[in-house]
Formats: sequence, C-alpha cells, structure tokens
Amino acid sequence: MSAVRLKGLTLRYGGVDVAAVDNLSLEIGDGELLALLGPSGCGKTTTLRLVAGFLDPEAGEIWVGDRCLSAPGNVVPPERRRMAMIFQSYALWPHLTVAQNVGYGLRFKRDLARADREKRIAEMLRVVQLAGYEARYPGELSGGQQQRVAVARALVVEPEILLLDEPLSNLDANLREEMRFEIRRLHEAFGITTLYVTHDQAEAMVISDRIAVLQAGRVAQVGTPDALFERPRTRFVAEFIGKTNVVDGVAAAPDVVEHGGVRLTVAGARFTPGAGVALSVRPHQIDLVEPPGAPAPNVFAATVRRSSFLGDSLDYEVTITGSDLVLRVVGPATRRLAPGQVVGLRIDPSACVPLDGA
Amino acid sequence: MPTSPLRLAAFALAVVVALAVAVPVPAQDARVEAARKEGKVVWYTSLVLPSAERVAKLFETAYPGIKVEVHRTGSERILQRVMQELQANIRNADVIHTSDAGHFVLLKGKNLLMKHAPAGVDPFPAGFKDKDGYYYGLRATLNVIAYNTKAVVAAEAPKSWKELLDPKWKGKLVTAHPGYSGVIATHVLALSHLHGWDYFKQLAQNRVMIKQSAADPSVVVASGERVVAVNGGEYTAYKAKKKGNPIEIVYPREGVPLVVSPTAITAFAPHPNAAKLFTDFTFTRDVQQFLADSEGLYTGHPDVKYPADKPKLSDLKLLTVDPEELEKRNEEIKKKFVEAFGA
Amino acid sequence: MDRALVVWVGAALALVFLMAMPLAWLTVMSVSSEAGTTLGHYRYVFTDPALAKSLWNTVVLAFWVGLVSIAIGAPLAWLTARTDVPGQGLIRGLVLASFVTPPFLGAFAWEMLAGPNAGLLNKVWRGVTGSDHPLVNIYTMPGLIFVVAIYTFPYVYIMIANTLALIASDLEDAASILGAGRLTVARTITLPMVLPAIVSGFILSVLQALALFGSPAILALPAGFHTITTQVWSFFHFPPKIEAAAAISMPLLGATAVLLWLQKRLLGRRGYAAVGGKGGTRRRIALGAWRVPALLACLAVMACAIFLPYGILAKAAFSRAWAQPVGWDNLTLANFTFTFFEYGATRAAIVNTLELGVITASVGAVLVAVLAYVTNRRLVVGHQIVAFLAFAPVVIPGIVLAVALFIAYTRPPFVLYGTLAILFIAYLTKEMPVGYGQSDATFRGIPPDLEDAGRILGAGRLRVLRDITAPLAKSGIIAAWCFIFIGVIRELSASIILFTPNTKVMSVVIFDLKEEGQFGAIAVLGLVMLALTFVTVAIVQRALGRDVLGARE
Repeated sequence: MSAVRLKGLTLRYGGVDVAAVDNLSLEIGDGELLALLGPSGCGKTTTLRLVAGFLDPEAGEIWVGDRCLSAPGNVVPPERRRMAMIFQSYALWPHLTVAQNVGYGLRFKRDLARADREKRIAEMLRVVQLAGYEARYPGELSGGQQQRVAVARALVVEPEILLLDEPLSNLDANLREEMRFEIRRLHEAFGITTLYVTHDQAEAMVISDRIAVLQAGRVAQVGTPDALFERPRTRFVAEFIGKTNVVDGVAAAPDVVEHGGVRLTVAGARFTPGAGVALSVRPHQIDLVEPPGAPAPNVFAATVRRSSFLGDSLDYEVTITGSDLVLRVVGPATRRLAPGQVVGLRIDPSACVPLDGA
Repeated sequence: MPTSPLRLAAFALAVVVALAVAVPVPAQDARVEAARKEGKVVWYTSLVLPSAERVAKLFETAYPGIKVEVHRTGSERILQRVMQELQANIRNADVIHTSDAGHFVLLKGKNLLMKHAPAGVDPFPAGFKDKDGYYYGLRATLNVIAYNTKAVVAAEAPKSWKELLDPKWKGKLVTAHPGYSGVIATHVLALSHLHGWDYFKQLAQNRVMIKQSAADPSVVVASGERVVAVNGGEYTAYKAKKKGNPIEIVYPREGVPLVVSPTAITAFAPHPNAAKLFTDFTFTRDVQQFLADSEGLYTGHPDVKYPADKPKLSDLKLLTVDPEELEKRNEEIKKKFVEAFGA
Repeated sequence: MDRALVVWVGAALALVFLMAMPLAWLTVMSVSSEAGTTLGHYRYVFTDPALAKSLWNTVVLAFWVGLVSIAIGAPLAWLTARTDVPGQGLIRGLVLASFVTPPFLGAFAWEMLAGPNAGLLNKVWRGVTGSDHPLVNIYTMPGLIFVVAIYTFPYVYIMIANTLALIASDLEDAASILGAGRLTVARTITLPMVLPAIVSGFILSVLQALALFGSPAILALPAGFHTITTQVWSFFHFPPKIEAAAAISMPLLGATAVLLWLQKRLLGRRGYAAVGGKGGTRRRIALGAWRVPALLACLAVMACAIFLPYGILAKAAFSRAWAQPVGWDNLTLANFTFTFFEYGATRAAIVNTLELGVITASVGAVLVAVLAYVTNRRLVVGHQIVAFLAFAPVVIPGIVLAVALFIAYTRPPFVLYGTLAILFIAYLTKEMPVGYGQSDATFRGIPPDLEDAGRILGAGRLRVLRDITAPLAKSGIIAAWCFIFIGVIRELSASIILFTPNTKVMSVVIFDLKEEGQFGAIAVLGLVMLALTFVTVAIVQRALGRDVLGARE
C-alpha cells in the first residue's frame, strides 16, 4: 500500500506571518496520479518538498501506507523515503553520463547485482527511447532528451512514490503536449503513486486522475478533472480551471438568481431568497440561438460587442439586452457573428454552477 | 660574487685549516664531541653575506657534523631581531656578531652575554677586547669614501669628508643607513665628533641616495648609479675594486673611522659548546688571515699579514668611538640621520 | 541545531583568533603607555612633521596610483572588450601576467631600468641623445606612482572589461537611432554605465597602493621619503615603538574600511570579483587604420609592466654585474650557484614558502569551501553573518594585520611569534576574502536541485557531498586553492613584520638581499617566484577552463 496521507501540514518561511503551507490535508490513493495545481506562491512546490523531505514541517504528519514519514520530532530524511523526483530543472548531474545518471539510485539498492543493475538501466533507457545514449553527458543532449533521462532516473529505482515538480515547463509547446501523454502513458504502465506539481491547468487535466487546487497554502478543492471543471466549488477554482463567466446576483427564488433584471434558473439549487449568490457559467455551455421573440426562462437577447476568431472556434463578448451583464461565449467557427449583431443566448439551468463564498 | 680563484683559495685554505685543527689537538676532543652532539651553531652576523657563508663553510669543513646556520642582516636589524625574539621567549641565537659595538654594551648590561675569551686573544690590541671579557673584536674595517673611476678622475675625487659638501656632487652621492648598519652608525657618531651634526644636514642638501647596508654604496658606485659613496665599509669597496670594478677608495685626511666589529656568545645560547668552538675557530690565525686576504678586512690578530695594496692602520689617522657612547646615543644617531635625510 | 552550533563555534573561534583578538590588541596598544591610557601616540603620529609627511605621501601616492591605473586600465579594457584590436588574447594574457607579478619584484626591476645614472633606459637615452640628464628618475614620487600603477591597473581593467562585456550594443544602438552621434552615445550611454566600474576600479587601485610595502621600501626610502607602511616597518627597528606603529596603523585601517564601503555601495550587491549576468549581442568597433597603433600602445604599456622588468631580471640573474653590457665575460651561473647552494637561507626560505603556501592554500580552500557551502545552502541560522565575516579581513591591510598579530601573539597566552604558525594565521586571514569569493561563486553555480536529486534517490547528505557536490565544485575549489597559493608566495607586507630568522620566506629573503645590494641573487629568487606563480596560474586556467580575469570573450 502506498497511499499518501498529508495531515494538517504547516510551514512558514523564516518568520513570515503568512504560512507557505497552512494546515494542509490531502490523500493520494495507491497508484493514483494527483496534480497539485495553483498559481505561483500557492504552496504547491513547498508541499511537494515537504513530502520529499527537503523541508521539515512545523506541524502535521505525512504518512505513506502505514509508515509515518514525518511527524513533529520524527522526520525521515529524503534518502529513506523510497521516493523519486523529477525536477523542473531536471537536475541531471553534468559530470555523470546518461547511464551513470540513470543508474545512480540503483547504487543504494544493495540486493541488486551489478549485472541486474546494468540490465535495468538498459531496459529503462529503451523505454524512454534513449538506448544508445548511455555514454553521453547531459550537456550533449537536447531538452527533450534531458527530460527523458530525468524520467528514466526517477523510474528506474521503482519508487513507491513519484514526485514531479513542473517537469514540462522548460519544454517548448509542441514537445510539452507530447510529453503530457508520455507521462500519462508511463504512469499507466508503472502504476506508481504520483504527486505532480504544475501551474498549467490544461496539463493537470490531461495527466491527472485527480487534481488538488491550492490557494494560499490550503486545498481549495480536490476532485477529478471533470468534477473540478463541471462543479467548481469556489470562484477561485472556477476561474483557475478553464474560462468561465462568474455572475454575481441575488437569489430571487430557491432556484433563481437575479442580476440586474436578468433571471437565471439554476438546476437543483436551494437558495435562501435574498441571499447573494455567485454562479459560474462556462462560455461553451451557452448556446447561441435566434433572438427570442418572447421571454422564456434562461433565454436572453444579447448584442455582440467583440468577436475573436480562434481558428477552430470564435470567442464572443456579448452584452445582454437591458442589462449590464457581459458574458463570454464560444461559438462554432462555421457561423460568424459580427459586432453589433443581436443574438439569442440559451443557458441550460444545469450549466449554472453556484459557487461558495459569494 | 665569488670568482673561481678566490673560491679555489678558500678551498685550499679550508683544507689547510682542517688539517691544522684536526690533527694536533687531542685536548679539544671532548669539546668537539660536545659541540658535535649539539649539531649546529646559529650565527647572527652582519658580515656581508658571501663572506659570512665562506667563514661558515670553513668551519663546517674543519668540524664535519657541525652546521653553521648563518642569519645575515644589518647590525641594527640583528639587535632588533634578538630583542624581539627574547620578548617572545625565543632563544635562537648562539653567536652574535655586529658592527655596532654599542650593542654589546647593551646586551652585556642586560646579562644576555656569556663570558668567553676565545683562545689566543691576549695579544690583541685593547680596542678589540671588552675589559670584562664578554665580547671581542672579530674583525675591523674602515669607513671610507669610494668613487667611480669612469665618472671621476683621481684629481677631482674628494679627498676629505668636507669636500663631499661641495654642491658639484649634488645628485651624485650615495650613503648607507645607520638604522640598518652598525658600520654606518659608528661612522655617523665619529663624524659628528669631527664635524658636528651640521655636517650631515649640509650633506643632505646634495640629495644623497639612501641605501641600507654599508656594503651597498660600493655596489651602487660600481654600477655607476651614483658617482661617490659618502661612506661604506672599506672591505666591500676593496673587494669590488679587486674584482675589476671601476672603483677607487679614498682614505680622508681628516681621519678614518675605524669600526671594530665584536662577537659574543649569548647567555642563553642553545648550542653553547658549538658556539665556543665556532668563536674560537674564528679567532684562529688562519681564519683571521683568511678575513684579511680574501675579504679585505683588518683584524686584531698581531700575526696577520695584509695585502700590500692596503694601507697600514698605523699610517692612517684613525677615528674611534667609545662603545659606551655608541650604545647611549644609538637612538639619537638614527633620529638625527633621519631628520637630515628624510628616511 | 546541533550542526549550526558546530559551525558557529568554529566560525566564532576562527574570528577571534584571526581578527578580533589581534585588532583588539592593536587598539589597546595604540592608547597604552607605561603611565596608563593615553592618546599621546596618536598626537605624536599626527603632529610629528616627519610622520605627518609620511601620511601625506601615502595619500598622494594612493590617489595618483588610482588615476594612473584608470588612465592605463580603461583604454586597454575598452580596446580589448569593444574593438577589433589585434592580439586580444596576447593583451589579456599580459594583463594577467601584470596582475600576478609581485609588485616588489617590479619595483626592484625598475631600479635597474630607470635608476637615473646606471638604469638601462637612462643609459640608452644618454647614448642616443648625448644628454647629461636622465630620461626618468625612478627614485621619485612620480617614479614610485608609475611602478605601483603598472601592477595595479589590472584591477581597473577587470572591472571595466567585465562591465563593457555586459553592455549590449542594443543599448547604444537605441541611442544612435534616436539621433545621437558616436561621441554623444559614448558620453551619455556608455560612460554612465561604466562609471561605477571605473570608480570602483579606482578605489581598488587606491587600496592596493595604500597597503603596499615593498615598492615604497625599495623606491621611496632611497629617495628619502616614507609612506605609512614603511613608517610602520621602521617603528619596529630597535628601539621598537610598537605603540606608535599601532597608532599609525589606525588611519590606514579606517581609510580602507571607508573606501571598501563606498565601493560596495557603488556596485550594489555585485561584489568585486566578477560581474555576472547576460547581455544581448555585442558588436566590435572597427578601428580601421588605428588597429596597429592601438596594438602598439597596448604593447608599450606591457613593455613597462612585463617585458622590460622580466628582461632585466633575467639579465641580472645571468650576469656578473647587472649594469655591465651582456657579453660572454659577463655571463655567469654563479648567481644560481650562490643562491641555491651557498646561501643557506635560500633553501630554507623556499621550503618555508612552499610549506606555508601549500598548508595555507589547503586549509584555506577547505575552510572557504565549507563556509561557502554553509552560506549558500543556508545550513545555519545567520548564514549571512558568516558570509560577512569571511569577507571582513579584506579591510585589514597586510602590514596592519601583521602589527596586530605581532602584538597579540608575542605574549601569553598565545606565543606564536617565531613560528610558521603566525605567518600561517596572517596569510589565511589575508587570503580568506579572495578564496571565499571564488568558492562562493562556485557553489552558487551548483543548483541545490542537483543535491536534492541525489538525496531523494537514496544518498545521504555526506554521500551526496562526495558523489555530486564535490566533483562539481572541484575545479572551483582548485582555483580557490591556487588564488590563495599565489597570494601567499608573494606576500611581503605582513611577512616583513612577522618573520624571524628561522621562519624566513622568499619575499623576505629577497628584501634582505635587497638591503644588502645582492642583485644577482634577488633576480634568481625573483625568477623562481615568477615561475611558481605562472605554473599555478596555468593550473587555475585549466581547472576553470577560462581566463582568470573573468571577462568573457
């Protein structure tokens, strides 16, 4: 069992009042790939380094299965945590060859015979498609190749836990996309419990089983990529994961929110009438229809203010007639609307997701 | 630098000395044995470096197994070293030999000297012997004027100390420093008796180049950097001349300061037996004759013969200074000199 | 916290022994007399006309050395950094040679070159022109300034060349495109950007000149004037005036501290070793017809600093009489024979120098490596203070350090005078900032990730240090070792106060021989010292794989 449990982790940096990681609790299932997602400064890298053991928490515990790795006064050093890590900088040792880099972690596996060691290095290099590069030095490799060396070095030791710290951020866009799938493929092949730090939500969504969105040292929301996208719980999560429209309004009925004359019906809601409510409405969940002839629930007339052609779709900014509400809407590339044109919008009640902390 | 004939002579002499010392003196065996156990003698000396090293080699040849550690610097620096070392409780020097007789008055007064009369010093003149028997003059030299014969013809050369004050020598003179050299300290005191301190103030008007060692003015003059040395050990000038340098020596008619350079064993000598053996050795006729022959020095030894081209001391008007006075006025001499010359 | 404690206790102890205790003694001594506390020594130092003169001489010397260093270093830096002057590698190599040449050897060589009468240059001048007067007289204040400046201008050169190399041509182009002429660009863009480097090069040169002992002792004393350093030294002559030496050390110490503070403020956090960072592309200015004259001008400067002095040293080493013409009858190996086989002190001094060099460099390299590692990896609380302390000795001129150490260690409880240990302490203290600067840059260049990557794969802290950190830091630490070694073998200003006959080092023997006028032997020892230095420099270049001066191509 190598499920990871973080319980109430807290760490402040050098006398600063604001905690880098603030009473953070999280569970990562055995064999699961969990992404720690958040903007810079949210504490995701700090959390990863706490798990790795490079930092000692002030409070809280870290468990892997039934092994306690870190509790106040009892901290297991990194080298005995049976983890592996892939660094943003790759951290390849420039004075060691590719084979030596990859084989370094195996030096500490006493029961592994020399021949087996060589075999495993060769096998791993084959898996990352670097067979034949054994004698090269890292400085002689391209960025993508260096990255694969870093991956090979981490995987060859068959760690219980794999930690990745923004491993793709140094690659160019095409390579980055390719490597996302590669990492996912490797994860599926090896099934290692993995903690993946990134600030790129698209990357997190492609790679992860679940995502933990971090904000100011705390977990804002944990869930599958689908769940986070479809049912964000906070404004922060809704805005961080994909594009969205946040509509601030007041509950006019248990399932109706009103904003400046615009009334939106929300599926399955139980609002207290009169309470302030924020809704998230994804741009692509707003349907562009013919301007309505008569008022209908969740159907509005609107004017196109701006349109941007994105190749496979169009991004519109529209103003709802008789209101100050401005919404972003995604439309198909097959039909183009010009600024000034009047259109109809239909918003499915299930597309309106109420957010906490309005 | 040693020329090969000199070195040959030195070597031959060394062999002679070695035979002379080693063969007929069984009485010395016990002393030699004790000295050999000590292994070495540490000699703080102001005798110019090549000469000092040659004396050391002579001794080492005569007494194999006893090394002479030569520490050569100017007389005044030697005193500075000894006193600094004593302050730090370092007892290093066995034999001290400087050209400032005042040092020995000082050291004797502080009970830092061992009473030891080298064998055979009885017939030495009184000026070479401490009345209490602590130090003895190992060698003597004169303070002279030297000039470059390429730059000055003999007729124009200065004949007296006073003539050096002539403005025609401006920028052409070189002096050594009493803060470094005992020979020069002695010289400055002797001339201040003769001509008063004003003499040096006036001399300084001629923008004299200031060197340190009494051996250096003759080097400077030989190189042509300056034309006339206003002081300096006669023996170094003599040797420079013998080596073929364009240099001539003037023995000023007002009088020539005689510098007797004493030697003594320290009271705290870490190698007392070797020190005694070495001191006695340096007073043997052979070594004293060697100092006269190859180093151009005078000695107190009555049997020593001098090269024919050197004046007899008895033919010169010698200026001598009282070691007691030299000791008392040591600081004053240096201070007045620095005041006059600037450094 | 336990490891923090060890480092702290170590650092504190080292500090006390190396700096605090000696400086405290220095201060105490400067105000003490047999009758109790007194300011009399200060009054004496500042009011005695001769001493006041020496203070003033030092100011004059340092100021002019700073200016002349700029006059030489700035154009040279500009030529090699920004123009297509030919022979750039050669020029840089020669600047480096000037940088590592012991200044006192240069001063000694210039005595033979430009003594007003026997000096080779003046003889040639007289021969050619028939003039009665010398071309130059090195035994003067201008002569001294010149000889000091030709060995301090590399400080200006390094600062400016490194800065110029960082200023992208874009910045200048941006001004040109707005209509500024070439001179206007130089005046309004380039100069202001280089100005901090110029000023800080000036300050570094001034500091060198302030602290120098050998050159003034060789050139100023014969001319009848003192500087502070030679005055300090003469206070040690019998009868010693240690209190006055302590008192006159204080203005030197104070001036150094103030100047360094100024320089640090000017450069911000960039430190003085090398300026880091990246710039855009740089274009070289085509000199056209001026290429060859520019090269000749550079070589003329280098003739003064390198060719002529080295040549005359070689001549003196192989001559019976240095002032006589080269010829078969003047050719001899006797100087070598005398130096190595007849003069007992030489071998002992060479052994002492090498011993001290190797020990100081080894202990120092390990020490600065540990300090730099600790401060870079922030292993202890207050690592910034450790870093500050490692740099602190830079404010203490060698001769002041020596006076302080002399006072502190000639009395119980620590009597170190007369041992190599006191020289070791002096050298270690003096070379610490240079070594620390080098080590700091080394560890800064090794990302902590590389160590963490080893830890997480199963290697303990020490194992990572051995497998990863040490191999990566090796060349940088070798370089630190060499820098310290070079500094030690040429050290004179502290050694001259601290040596005893049994602990002579090469520089002191050279100085001793100098006082006696033994030119041949000095030249031989000087060549040995230069050979040692250049071998060491070659090792650094190999280890670092780049130019010691730090400026990029």
